[in-house]
Amino acid sequence: MIRRLIEDALTVLSWAAGLLLTLALLTLAGYLLKKGGSTLGVDLIFGDTAPLDALMLRRQVFDGLFPAMIGTLLLITGSMLIAIPVGIAAGIYMAEYCSGRVKGFFSLLFDILAGVPSIVVGLAGLSLTIFLHRHFSAQISTSLLISCLSLALLVLPYLIRTTQTALESIDPLIRRTAPALGASRLQNIIRVLLPNSISEIVGGIILATGRCAEDTAVIMLTGAVASAGLPRSIFGQYEALPFYIYYISSQYTGPDELARGFGAAILLILICAGLLLIALWMQKRLTTLLLYR
Amino acid sequence: MDAETADDIAPLQVTPMQSSIKIRTQALCFYYHHKQVLHDISVQLPANKITAITGPSGSGKSTFLMILNRLWEEIAGCSISGNVTVELEGHLQDINDKALPARVLRRKVGMVFQQPNPLPMSIFKNIAFPLYLTHITNKKHVKDAVEGALRQVHIWDEVKDRLNDDGRLLSGGQQQRLCLARALVLSPEVLLLDEPTSSLDPEASAAIEELLLSLKSQCTLIMVSHYQDQIQRIADLRFEVRDGRFLCPDAGCN
Repeated sequence: MIRRLIEDALTVLSWAAGLLLTLALLTLAGYLLKKGGSTLGVDLIFGDTAPLDALMLRRQVFDGLFPAMIGTLLLITGSMLIAIPVGIAAGIYMAEYCSGRVKGFFSLLFDILAGVPSIVVGLAGLSLTIFLHRHFSAQISTSLLISCLSLALLVLPYLIRTTQTALESIDPLIRRTAPALGASRLQNIIRVLLPNSISEIVGGIILATGRCAEDTAVIMLTGAVASAGLPRSIFGQYEALPFYIYYISSQYTGPDELARGFGAAILLILICAGLLLIALWMQKRLTTLLLYR
Repeated sequence: MDAETADDIAPLQVTPMQSSIKIRTQALCFYYHHKQVLHDISVQLPANKITAITGPSGSGKSTFLMILNRLWEEIAGCSISGNVTVELEGHLQDINDKALPARVLRRKVGMVFQQPNPLPMSIFKNIAFPLYLTHITNKKHVKDAVEGALRQVHIWDEVKDRLNDDGRLLSGGQQQRLCLARALVLSPEVLLLDEPTSSLDPEASAAIEELLLSLKSQCTLIMVSHYQDQIQRIADLRFEVRDGRFLCPDAGCN
């Protein structure tokens, strides 16, 4: 009787937790739409500039969020281009090649890295910039590249852990099948283990992408500025949506400006949702391509 | 079926060993985390015959199979001593010689597991997989080899229209035949079978048994089985394993 009651209580709690989360998400989305929905439109993105001119890079956008959107996309792309290969390779090493005390040491190291606050990572990026500025070239300053490197460092533990866990959780029977057929360890990893871990690895990539998209502490120390236009190169400063949101929310001068901040938040969520959809499509496509065609 | 005791084992008709010896082990011992699992095994297994290995669960039958294709190397904490020689391509090979890569050995000494283990990929890719590993990529060659292997295990007609479907969607019997076809696609000289029919219904088991009998002309089969009636039907020679020691109710032990 008591066991039954406990089971029922747990079921109700689980449902309540799921419901609460959904409600929180819907409330947040509703609140953002209420506050910033009115600003959504071409003007918010392109300002006075003709959209086609802006998209063809013929004219700069000064009073729209287009540079910040492009900056955010470049930031995410650059960070993930650095983090994905390193993270997956390190995850493979941890799951397939590393053992004993070395594995324990690296696990501890990655756990510590995962727990480092983003402001500290930003500070590390800034320190690196200062070091390079002093010792190599006076022209080196905070830039998109430094931000990408710092963000990549921030999200590496997620990618390493998800890859490692995905590989380690593969059924031992499947793990031994390819070697029994004459596969080398590398062939087993590339042809069987990794394709079978795609879902989990893409899950880690989605998580890391979201982290890159939202982090403000790192970029405010390493290259993001309130007004820079489109980044001229990876060595230049740039605008980014999270920094814009932070900037507006802390220094707005009127309700219209605050509404633009909420509009920027909606755009940031839409960019993340778009990237999520692309990742899910890639996950499905890759699984089909690697395993069934 | 659970392990059977020695008293349950019906006497087998002893088949005189006229064929050549395919596998020899001498003073073979196997250890798992310093615990001795197999003790001083010296046996000779004839070529082109079905040798059955029987015995209680945990006695070391599957371990013995894993020694014959060095699959034990994939499991941490294992070590062996003694000699294992297999006649491959007409030459006697010490299979534990490091000069012989495990992947090369395993392409000659195929294995089918107790549990059907299709890889999570299409039916076609499951069979083509060993070919890709040996860098055979000619599309026509691969297609012909896949069809040939599937025909050999009498499953071609059942799957020819859905070769791109996931191999795991097949029934248990079909999956096991798929695994057998995959092991056969490289034409192994020795086929190790770890209770290949234990998860199948009688009809599917009979089909596999018939298939194994037909394979004797092509390769040497070493089969772990709990089923005495199955051993009676298809095995030429039987060994019994007790607490990691080989007993030979028939013939063949040194």
